Amino acid sequence: MADKNMKFLVVDDFSTMRRIVRNLLKELGFNNADEAEDGVAALTKLRNGNFQFVVSDWNMPNMTGLELLKAIRADANLKHLPVLMVTAEAKKENIVEAAQNGASGYVVKPFTAATLEEKLNKIFEKLNM
Amino acid sequence: MSNASQENGDTDDLEALFDSIALANTDSPPTAPIQAATKVAEPAPVADAGTPCNNEKVFSQLGQMTRSLHDSLRELGYDKALESAASSIPDTRDRLNYIATMTEQAADRALNATEIAKPIQEKLSTEAIALSQQWQRLFDKQLGVEQFKDLVTQTRDYLNRVPQQTQATNAQLMEIMMAQDFQDLTGQVIKKIIDVAQQIERQLIQLLVETTPPAKMTEVNTGLLNGPVIQGEGRGDVVTNQAQVDDFLDSLGF
Repeated sequence: MADKNMKFLVVDDFSTMRRIVRNLLKELGFNNADEAEDGVAALTKLRNGNFQFVVSDWNMPNMTGLELLKAIRADANLKHLPVLMVTAEAKKENIVEAAQNGASGYVVKPFTAATLEEKLNKIFEKLNM
Repeated sequence: MSNASQENGDTDDLEALFDSIALANTDSPPTAPIQAATKVAEPAPVADAGTPCNNEKVFSQLGQMTRSLHDSLRELGYDKALESAASSIPDTRDRLNYIATMTEQAADRALNATEIAKPIQEKLSTEAIALSQQWQRLFDKQLGVEQFKDLVTQTRDYLNRVPQQTQATNAQLMEIMMAQDFQDLTGQVIKKIIDVAQQIERQLIQLLVETTPPAKMTEVNTGLLNGPVIQGEGRGDVVTNQAQVDDFLDSLGF
């Protein structure tokens, strides 16, 4: 059973999307979430806070979700973090890139609470969370 | 697999593909990612500015700009590959319609949800008030024993019904919240349209700078109070903010 106090970081350049994801997480019982508006801000927060899960958009200025993912996987202190990539289109190239660069899972926008829960559980099971 | 994921463009095949790669990756470091083909529309390269009023140069510049604009529009989604993708993003010329449609749909969803939730709230309130009045009568010693028993049963029934009603309302609130997701997609589209418009402006300014007759050029230089000097060679990015553009156009008499 995943810890409901788990600390999430929600990364998206649109504040509306960040709010929606946080509300969906709340709906699923996860009340401990913080936000970042791009990959650079996200990395800073990750390096300074005790996060256990990252949900990141794909398309962002300054540093894309993919670049963020790579940076996380390259950092000794962060590489263990589960990262769920959020993509607007289920294009094969994106999926393959996400997988090859160590994403823990992906979800296609727009998604419902049910879909998010399913994808999260899949990751929890895989990582024995 | 669940129907929920299949409604939004995700497929079992894609999930399986993701899983197989992720599995193969668990012990080895990630391999070089496949380069997704991306077309980045570059602004038209600055041609050598010899004499600004060369017809052929203007023609060539216009041609390059048009090519650049066309490429940008194609990148915006006119491209067939993007069109055939799972999401229903229409072709470029309908982009603004797309925004209008999405915002309308979102408004409808939100309004529908409030219309459904309002009666639930009202009923909850009305019943509570009615019961409350009965209880007041009880405390005013106006109720008989049978009536009291009835009241107790009704009150208990009411309490049992409350969670159901609040859940129904909550569902409508969630629906309103989810309806806001249009902002992300329309926001991205708007950003892209603005980028294209700015790019066109930049290139037109550049062309204007290069073809300004030398006589006028000195007027322009002294007319500008702040900002960089506009050089006859026509550097691409010298006029960068809206105020400078305004001043520049004004000083040329446009």
